[in-house]
Amino acid sequence: MEFMRKSTEEIYDIVIIGGGPNGVALAAYLAKCGLSVCVLEERSEAGGACEQTEPIAGVRINPHAAVMYAAAAPGWEQLELWKYGFRMSWEPAWAFTPLIKTVMTTEGAVPFSDKDGLGWAKITGMLGSPTFTKELLRATFWCPPHPPEVEVTAENIPFMQVYKERAPEIWTEELLQMTMFDLMDEYLETEPFKVMQAFASWYSGAAAHYQGMAIPAMGGNIAVTLYGASAPRGGMHDYFHAILRCALAHGAVVRTCCPVEEIIIRNGQAVGVHLRDNAAWGEKTIWADKAVVSAVDVRQTFNKLIGPQHVDRGLLQKVNDISLKGGSIYVSHFLTREPLRLSPKFKDWPHMTGGIYPCDSREIYYDHVADVDGHKGDPTMPAQRVFWMAVPDGRFPSTDPQCTIPNHYLVSPFYVFVPPPEYHVDGPDAINKYKEKWNAYMREAFSQVVENLNSDSLVYHWANTPLESEFRNTGLIGGGYSGARLCKDHMWTNRPLPELSRYCTPIDRLYLGNQSTGHPGGLCLMAIPYNLMHILIEDGIAEPGNWWYPSPWYIPERGKISAIPRK
Amino acid sequence: MELRKRQTPMLTGDIFDEFPDESDWDAIIIGAGPNGLMTGAYLAKAGAKVAVVERRYEVGGGLATEEILFPCYYSNMHAIYHMMVDYMPVMQDFNLDKHALVWIKPNLQTAMVFEDGSSLLLTRMVEDTADSIHKVSHKDAVAFGKLMRTWRRMVSEIVGPATYLPPTPSLDWIVALQRTEVGRELLELNEGSPLEIMTDHFENDRVRALMLYVACMWGLDPRETGIGLFVPLLLERGMNKCYCYGGSHKFAGALAREIVRAEGTILEAAEVTRINMQNGNVAGVELMEGRTLNSKVVISSLDPHTTFFDLVGKESLPTTLKETVENWKYDKWSYYTLHLVAKEKPKYQCDDPWVNESFMTVFGFDSTDQVVAHWNNVMAGKVDGDFGGHSTCESFWDPHLVRMPGGEVSFFQMHAPYDIEGGWEKRNKELEEAILDKWQKAAPNMKRENIIMTSPETPVDIEIRFPNMRRGAIKHGDYTPMQLGYNRPNTECSSSKTPIGGLYLCGASTYPGGMVTGGPGYVAANKVAEDMGLKKWWKPTPAMEKYIKTYME
Ligand SMILES: Cc1cc2nc3c(=O)[nH]c(=O)nc-3n(C[C@H](O)[C@H](O)[C@H](O)COP(=O)(O)OP(=O)(O)OC[C@H]3O[C@@H](n4cnc5c(N)ncnc54)[C@H](O)[C@@H]3O)c2cc1C
Ligand SMILES: Cc1cc2nc3c(=O)[nH]c(=O)nc-3n(C[C@H](O)[C@H](O)[C@H](O)COP(=O)(O)OP(=O)(O)OC[C@H]3O[C@@H](n4cnc5c(N)ncnc54)[C@H](O)[C@@H]3O)c2cc1C
Repeated sequence: MEFMRKSTEEIYDIVIIGGGPNGVALAAYLAKCGLSVCVLEERSEAGGACEQTEPIAGVRINPHAAVMYAAAAPGWEQLELWKYGFRMSWEPAWAFTPLIKTVMTTEGAVPFSDKDGLGWAKITGMLGSPTFTKELLRATFWCPPHPPEVEVTAENIPFMQVYKERAPEIWTEELLQMTMFDLMDEYLETEPFKVMQAFASWYSGAAAHYQGMAIPAMGGNIAVTLYGASAPRGGMHDYFHAILRCALAHGAVVRTCCPVEEIIIRNGQAVGVHLRDNAAWGEKTIWADKAVVSAVDVRQTFNKLIGPQHVDRGLLQKVNDISLKGGSIYVSHFLTREPLRLSPKFKDWPHMTGGIYPCDSREIYYDHVADVDGHKGDPTMPAQRVFWMAVPDGRFPSTDPQCTIPNHYLVSPFYVFVPPPEYHVDGPDAINKYKEKWNAYMREAFSQVVENLNSDSLVYHWANTPLESEFRNTGLIGGGYSGARLCKDHMWTNRPLPELSRYCTPIDRLYLGNQSTGHPGGLCLMAIPYNLMHILIEDGIAEPGNWWYPSPWYIPERGKISAIPRK
Repeated sequence: MELRKRQTPMLTGDIFDEFPDESDWDAIIIGAGPNGLMTGAYLAKAGAKVAVVERRYEVGGGLATEEILFPCYYSNMHAIYHMMVDYMPVMQDFNLDKHALVWIKPNLQTAMVFEDGSSLLLTRMVEDTADSIHKVSHKDAVAFGKLMRTWRRMVSEIVGPATYLPPTPSLDWIVALQRTEVGRELLELNEGSPLEIMTDHFENDRVRALMLYVACMWGLDPRETGIGLFVPLLLERGMNKCYCYGGSHKFAGALAREIVRAEGTILEAAEVTRINMQNGNVAGVELMEGRTLNSKVVISSLDPHTTFFDLVGKESLPTTLKETVENWKYDKWSYYTLHLVAKEKPKYQCDDPWVNESFMTVFGFDSTDQVVAHWNNVMAGKVDGDFGGHSTCESFWDPHLVRMPGGEVSFFQMHAPYDIEGGWEKRNKELEEAILDKWQKAAPNMKRENIIMTSPETPVDIEIRFPNMRRGAIKHGDYTPMQLGYNRPNTECSSSKTPIGGLYLCGASTYPGGMVTGGPGYVAANKVAEDMGLKKWWKPTPAMEKYIKTYME
């Protein structure tokens, strides 16, 4: 390098900004390739949005992530997470899988038909012989977008290939234009069942009403229901621990309290980072010999870390136009003295106090969409109709309880979509101003189904608004779980933008590894690191051992090193 | 026993692997508090195949930093004042700063603010403390300087290094200490009670009050004799408290990283429900979820009741051991802590603006009698309006605790009984109000409209968070002559090996005792390494070597 380094400064092959699940899983992959890796995390604990906290003794709440979507990831085998203590709390299907027989509506728990169950099983690949659900998920999420020179067609999109091969009767070019509602209308019959799946999808990535998103929307939904919406033992942060320890065991350094201030760019090349002055690490410059990866949100990456001086105005405009919609959540956690009881009309609902409500009709669904993404104000839906999803403590087995205070009961998290703070007509902090009012609204919404969420029983109602989520965890832009809307304009080769697909930037040796910056976005953990690995192999940065296998649908970029191992 | 239930992979094909139902280890450590982590780090690096199993979802035990002011504000709800950083061998043996572990040791360590607006300061630099004492007594200022000359030696030559060496039987120790003058002085000091020691050395009552509070706040009875050697230790170390930048949990995180780098395994959400036995020796542990870990060596950092009665079982214990466990006394007082977020840092109304930068600020007490009366009350299960305690504005030291600008994180902590008259459920709110009143009196800007959020932690809460801190016992057992030194937890187990084959102790209930000293963890690591025939890759610190040469050879 042509510039001088102080001898006290550190040099790694790879510097990763952001110690969330994506940044650290990438560190695990790269360290396993034998590279020296340093992850720099701003907060005092790494883990990003996979975190738990114990706000009062004996009560473990999930401010963000709660359930496992990553069951289909190749990372389980490649990173051997079991070695690092990974265990699951398996539970029988509890929420919205086809195994249950009813759906929650304002009328009570209503049944759905065999046609619904079978139709769903068919399109999700569960009836294939052998089943192809996992394949479908891997094709949809765990595969890098095709290189720019390859025209994306109905023939070469990975999930289309899976259908064509495994269930040709389902394959039609139309799949690429449909919404998930269109798809369900073709294969299912009961409206509340469809609405339940639609809500579940919206909560799991792409929404059921997004054009052309039928399969990714369905995929996010089955990614979570596939394994009964189970969670890692100890919660999602303990999944993160397995990732972290895999990275550490292979020699990666993961430092907390080390916020990055800027990416150092010399001659169009990313060569290191500067830390903010409140960083714990004494020497505030860390150099990267091979690459810098930003695993923090896309807006911060371009506006602050790279800085406008290194990006052209046109691209910056596009970055700032990336939609933050589709995932801003108001998260509640209820601690009560009595177990919550379902009101009598839900006596047939077998799944404790968790689930999705109300699934009466598409009208409710679209009203909610209008409220969240159309009106851009405070919620206007009456609490009776507002749509929610709840995860009760009782979901966890008694060997992994969330609440250990005797005679106390917990529902955490209780999710309700609200408008992204950035788009609120009264400014970003509007939702925080009336927190008490919104808390009451959330309780009222839940009280449509449970009968004793009252002041006698309620001990605590904690809540994190999307704005608070953004502050708790810098980079959870929009206060949501994917950081950029998972619509057709921000998915696959368009995520986050066509210019930035395949995790690359206009700056040489600078890659993107955050949920908001690449396909497939949030939730499907280990997908971005796995996908990005293909690109880093192509660029000659990573050389994995024989534990590595690429996605079978992956297409190498012309002129580069293929990520497919040579036999 | 509930074995993990795995949903039949609903037509979905194969599923990923998990940690096995049964596994074999060279050593298993129960509890990932500071001590368990240290034992684990040494043994793993010595090549043992180590598993550290922790009940909570996060390692650290008393090294906890969490968002208890939810959302957006973090606090160190247990250990925050790290007194032994200068002596802990882990600091020399591991390169912990690689994990961005940074200690802050403010010069102004403790300020005591009185009702009339005067204050006394205890600082790391002796002359700054003397300056402050000169305001009330030249004689005491001079006495303090002199005292520190010998007390510092007592700590650096004897008590500090001895913390990391196996205990010596009491009589042998007395003989050994006779070898030097400072040793003889220490023995003499040991005869007195903390109160007597302070009364003997200082004339001014408020100077006595400050010194007594700092020396006894961790659980010495001011009137008890035979524990005097802890007075120089706790006072001198009370002048050298460190704050762990980013929160105490970072220390745990750094130790855990060392374990993992040395190929050790850490399991969280893994409550041990049984220590398995075979022919009178340990054979491993069983987890609540049903998994079994096999090992001929099990090292427990838990309290004696949990280790011996709940996990091993009374039937497997020799009688003498059973008796000591039955008679084990938990701490005479626990803590009640009120954590809060306020719009401002507390601004104390007093004669010295420097107080606002103090690591610890004591208020509520005006005299030695008041301090002693509060402790007497607590020991009788009472708290009345005359209480006092200490506070720290954590965000003054650590911007990382604040995730939403506009709030400052502080806490007030006081000694409190586990069995409080009236019960905690009832007294909690009342005490919170009383604390806020008192705080506002000392620091007028701590008024109600400036308080954004509060979160109290009672002794009962401490026990809920950590069942091994029985009765809210922060040190897993009281400090009395019968439970200290070679007697902790009893003469058979204090060097960490127990009479049960393969069972070792490494927690706060074992020699040298509680707090984040790393003593029990280090002593256990040495003992286990010797017994397992592992090559010790580490050496004693220079201070320990000197101590061994002077007193033990
Ligand atoms: C409410 C909610 C519910 C969710 N539910 C689930 C669920 O049930 N299951 C699931 O699998 N997923 C869930 N998710 C999504 C999942 O948590 C995210 O997809 C995942 O955390 C994204 O990981 P990441 O590493 O890309 O980003 P993040 O988790 O956001 O991590 C980014 C990290 O970078 C750090 N950082 C930011 N700026 C800097 C800087 N300048 N310097 C250094 N570090 C910096 C941040 O502190 C953070 O730790 C949920 C998310 C939310 C918000
Ligand atoms: C409110 C409070 C304030 C304190 N302040 C300070 C301070 O400022 N400075 C200081 O030095 N010390 C302080 N202490 C004391 C200090 O925290 C403890 O003495 C110290 O943590 C003891 O360390 P340990 O490793 O022996 O045990 P612990 O820290 O208690 O760790 C034991 C671990 O074992 C786990 N465990 C329990 N049961 C099981 C089981 N069945 N199976 C598996 N794991 C189990 C626990 O979850 C815990 O993580 C404070 C304590 C409290 C409560």
